[in-house]
Amino acid sequence: MKKFWRVLLFVALIGMLTLTLTAQVLPKVPRGDLLIVDALHGRLAKTDFNIWKPATQAGNGIQQALMDTLWYVDPTSGEWINALAAEPPIYNEDATVMTVKLRQGIYWSDGVEFTADDVVFTVKVQIENPGFNYSGPFSTYVKDVYAKDKYTVVFELKKPYPRFHNFFNVLIYGACYIMPKHIFEKVEDPLKFDFNPPVSLGPYVLKDYDKAGYWWFFERREDWQRTSVGMVYGRPKPKYLLFIYYGPEEKKVLAQAQHQLDCIFDLTPEAWDVLRKRNKYSMVWYEDFPWAWMDDVAARGLCFNLTKFPYNIKQVRWALTLAIDIKDVIISGFNGIERLAPLHEAPTTAFMKYFDKPLKEWLEDFTIQVGDEQFKPFDPTIPEQIAEWAKDQGYNVTMAPEDIWGIGWWKYAPDVAEKLLKEVGFTKKDGKWYLPNGEPWKITLVGLPAEIDSARLAFAVADQWRKFGIETSVETVEAGVFWTRWSLGDFDVGSYWPASASGIADIWPLYQGWHKRYVVPTGQAASSNQIRWTNNIASDIIDKMATLKPDDPRLMELSRDLFKVFVEEMPYICTVINKKFNAYDQYVWTNFPSAKNPYMSTAWWWGTFKFLLPFLNFYCTPFHTTRSRSDDYKQSSVLWCTVSRR
Amino acid sequence: MIERKRENPVKAFFVILRDMIKYNKGFAFGFFFIMLALCLTFLSFFSPYNPKSWNVVPKDLPPSLKHLLGTNSVGQDVFWLLTFAIGNSFLLGSVTAIIASTVGTIVGLVAGYKGGIADRILMSLNDTFIVLPSLPILIFLAFSLRENLNVVTMGMILSVFSWPWGGRQIRAMVLSLREREFTYTADSSGMNTFKIVFKEHFPFIIPWVMANFINTILWSIGMEVTLAVFGLSSLETPTIGTMIYWSTQYQALFRGIWWWVLTPVVLAVLLFVSLFFVSSGITEFLDPRTRLQRIKARG
Amino acid sequence: MTINRVASYGAQYLDAETLEHLKQTLTDLYGLKGSVFEQYVKFWSRLLHGDFGPSLAMFPTPVMEVISTSIPWTLGLLVMSVFIAWLIGNFIGGIAGYFSEKRWAKVLSVIAATIYPIPYYFMALILIIVFGYLIPVFPIIGGFSIGMQPSFSFSFIVDLIKHAFLPSLSLIIVGTGWWFLSMKALSSTTKSEDYVQYAEAAGIPQSKILFGYVMKNSMLPQFTNLALSLGGVFNGALVTEYFFAYPGIGQTLYMAVTNGDFNLMMGISVFSIFAIASAALVIDLLYPLIDPRVRYR
Repeated sequence: MKKFWRVLLFVALIGMLTLTLTAQVLPKVPRGDLLIVDALHGRLAKTDFNIWKPATQAGNGIQQALMDTLWYVDPTSGEWINALAAEPPIYNEDATVMTVKLRQGIYWSDGVEFTADDVVFTVKVQIENPGFNYSGPFSTYVKDVYAKDKYTVVFELKKPYPRFHNFFNVLIYGACYIMPKHIFEKVEDPLKFDFNPPVSLGPYVLKDYDKAGYWWFFERREDWQRTSVGMVYGRPKPKYLLFIYYGPEEKKVLAQAQHQLDCIFDLTPEAWDVLRKRNKYSMVWYEDFPWAWMDDVAARGLCFNLTKFPYNIKQVRWALTLAIDIKDVIISGFNGIERLAPLHEAPTTAFMKYFDKPLKEWLEDFTIQVGDEQFKPFDPTIPEQIAEWAKDQGYNVTMAPEDIWGIGWWKYAPDVAEKLLKEVGFTKKDGKWYLPNGEPWKITLVGLPAEIDSARLAFAVADQWRKFGIETSVETVEAGVFWTRWSLGDFDVGSYWPASASGIADIWPLYQGWHKRYVVPTGQAASSNQIRWTNNIASDIIDKMATLKPDDPRLMELSRDLFKVFVEEMPYICTVINKKFNAYDQYVWTNFPSAKNPYMSTAWWWGTFKFLLPFLNFYCTPFHTTRSRSDDYKQSSVLWCTVSRR
Repeated sequence: MIERKRENPVKAFFVILRDMIKYNKGFAFGFFFIMLALCLTFLSFFSPYNPKSWNVVPKDLPPSLKHLLGTNSVGQDVFWLLTFAIGNSFLLGSVTAIIASTVGTIVGLVAGYKGGIADRILMSLNDTFIVLPSLPILIFLAFSLRENLNVVTMGMILSVFSWPWGGRQIRAMVLSLREREFTYTADSSGMNTFKIVFKEHFPFIIPWVMANFINTILWSIGMEVTLAVFGLSSLETPTIGTMIYWSTQYQALFRGIWWWVLTPVVLAVLLFVSLFFVSSGITEFLDPRTRLQRIKARG
Repeated sequence: MTINRVASYGAQYLDAETLEHLKQTLTDLYGLKGSVFEQYVKFWSRLLHGDFGPSLAMFPTPVMEVISTSIPWTLGLLVMSVFIAWLIGNFIGGIAGYFSEKRWAKVLSVIAATIYPIPYYFMALILIIVFGYLIPVFPIIGGFSIGMQPSFSFSFIVDLIKHAFLPSLSLIIVGTGWWFLSMKALSSTTKSEDYVQYAEAAGIPQSKILFGYVMKNSMLPQFTNLALSLGGVFNGALVTEYFFAYPGIGQTLYMAVTNGDFNLMMGISVFSIFAIASAALVIDLLYPLIDPRVRYR
């Protein structure tokens, strides 16, 4: 038994020893030199820096700190950034040759100069080694690629393709980044290579990373002037970047409340509420209600598998639309924090300007056939109603309701919905709907709890349809299952987010997938058009758009026509934008983009993030986490830090 | 007591129950709590709200006379939700326990008495299931069967992993009982095997089966809570696990909506404690050792 | 199969043409060509060579490599916690069982019965709030501090223990409750055995009866259970690792399941089965040393 006591004593001693030491999660560098960012993909059990391989994740700092490509377009401001390229691409008359002029004086982090050869190599190695992310499209389109001189690349294309440059243009999230030729050419099998340690073309280098996959630590390059970010916007302010995964949301909130996590990816409204009250330096987008960033480039919709009965009937889809009281969904399901998406795109600031606002008049006059009558389904007053509700709740509404909640949505008209359904043979007995064959109508709505708003939309809409008299249940599934079923068409109705947007008005790259040629039978994996929408008019419009150059004025007209077809047919019910609570802490770093100063999108998981870093300011130097600071101090530092971009 | 049992088993049962409640405080507590829980379950049939609907009452109200346990952030009444959760969790546990105990007992008995090849086959099957990593497989099953997941199917899935423990234990008991003196005595005095098993051995096995039954209920409820943490339960069905899931989804603890998060937690604890007391009360009452003395004395 | 790995890749922002190509590429790469039966045969032939194939989610990293980076963390954390909980739980449980009529023993068992069923998630959250936020003395994430190099230096070991403290504390609390309850039940029955009664009648000191007779004999089944728990370590403490962001195998496994990474799932399961089976074997072999009554003929 003596032994036992000794063990116990030992355990107790160790416990006491650890208690005397304070917690230290972060690396031992001055806090004022460090920006701590939430790692979007969570834990990656194996870090692979060869992100040109399929199924590798680049969003945990790799594409933001180490990678670079020719162009970027910021989705919020719509600004075109020439990164590695010195100017936009030049096409010949029939769009079969694309010439790119590169910036001079850009260097890899190991001191080798970046030249046209790197770009040529990136394309050729992917064509020669099928299995890379861009092997397919490059072999489809590229006839030849060569360096005309050290800073000029010429792409000869197999067929006219006026949007070829988009492969090297970060519109959303990422694109094809440029490979270091001097590293990869020495590798025997580039597909098996893990590119570790990585050579950087971005403004940072990898200093250290966790083999277990929880964090990645980057240090600013000494020669940051020799990178695109340095040349375009100057010195990225944080000397160090740390991408870290803290685990469940509760822990992220605690970490930011302790000023140990500067940027958090999408909190739930409730978590944001907690954080807002715990840390007054936390901010999302709007200074006041509804706070959230509503400029993400996707919008949520209730998607039908259009090959399945009864969702193949247009009247049924419209009836289900009109059976939704969207105001109730927004208020009770989302606490009033959501922007409405009546058109089948994501109403970002940019897209509202291109499409929602110009089409508003058309929407107001738009009618659907109900029996012998024409019914105007659009209701532009909903944003105002929500604003009224918000004011009743005691919130300040500081901007025009239209700029926060969108231009409006479809009316809540269960009576019209009833007529539409009865028209196509449905019956209603004792408040319950029956299919034309007499069976009770049951809907299973698929939602993804990991993407909390998807689940919330599903639950809120299921509630609406139940009130309408349809037996609706929600089935929540894991991400893998969710996307597999999406691809295979294994759903009746699902809460997905099929609508999209970007910084450019040219919607063809995003919408070509709705073409009928991508429709495959249910049960086969579809990579686009998962709702299996076979529509000749829409497909014709997409075909016409394909031949036009991205700056062609006719494109805008065609895009609007396409959205009109979407509204007419209602292939899926587009509801709200993917709002996000990307909380950032202004305790250490300030001048993040906001509704007042929307100079860039706040998405720190996109490759575009590297261009945001030069605009950040830290409030004062030197800085230590332990030091308390008074509010007066904060006031003066605000003055000191309000150097904004525009 | 055995004499009484022969007279009228129903009456005897109530007499025993009365005695146990009188002399065993833990048992009394457990028994009354379980009765209360059953009453609450019964109440759920009179619930004014559909547990699957949201926004039927104002949100985030603290407990009051109108809403006994307050309301949650999706607009449900926590008290009425609780009545459903108790019932569903009980049902889940009972399904698991009934299947697991039945299969486990039969396998254990057959393996113990038959011996030989039957024993070897059954026990290797048994051991295979013990060795299988249960949680990952459960996660995988819950994950794949999502569509058909309800309280009953979930209970069935859980029972797959809980029967072997009971089976093993019963076999060991039978093996030791077979070697006891009284078995030899009964055997040599010409009692047939069937009679020996049911008259002499069952009194030893039954208490263990009952204790195991209750433990399986507990294990099953606990497992459902674990799966629900990952959202791998039938999330629309109120159970202890899904109540905890939704309350953490809405950060109830941080936002000070304690009545939402504490209700399922306290319920889980109370349910466990009372089932534990009941189970140990039964075991104590039916303790084979005191039993053995009684049988010996009678013989 | 339920999760079609290739199909589930569709959540990326790539244009329609690129996606179509990518799907083809991935099907080739993952070796998912051929019928299910062919794939099954291939799987077994690889397995018999000790090759679990590449992880699908972290292609083309071999499954073995993924497992070997995670397993030391899990082993360290869980073996430690299981042992500590086993020692404390059995020790207190044994004493409480022997004195089961005493008031404090009853109070202890009520406490254990109350703590044990508290949903683990809830308890972990409370621990994190108390020790990570209100009194921030322990780190709430990871296996060791950023910037530390794994080594056998004193500072690294201290760092390691500090990071493991909260997760293992949570496991110990739950584990102790369980061991306590089962040990108490065992020792209170042992107490009524004839030889204990004789020993008491013979006037042997109580401490000797407690430790030498009751505890010693009640411990036997607990050794078997310990072996099984240690074998079960390979399952990882899934919730613990998820919640404390601890880099172990449990979380890897969860990632494998949610990503539909079958190779990795199989690899970890095979490992786990192997571990439990060998733990059981070791205990069987060691049993005669613990219990002299058992002899192998």
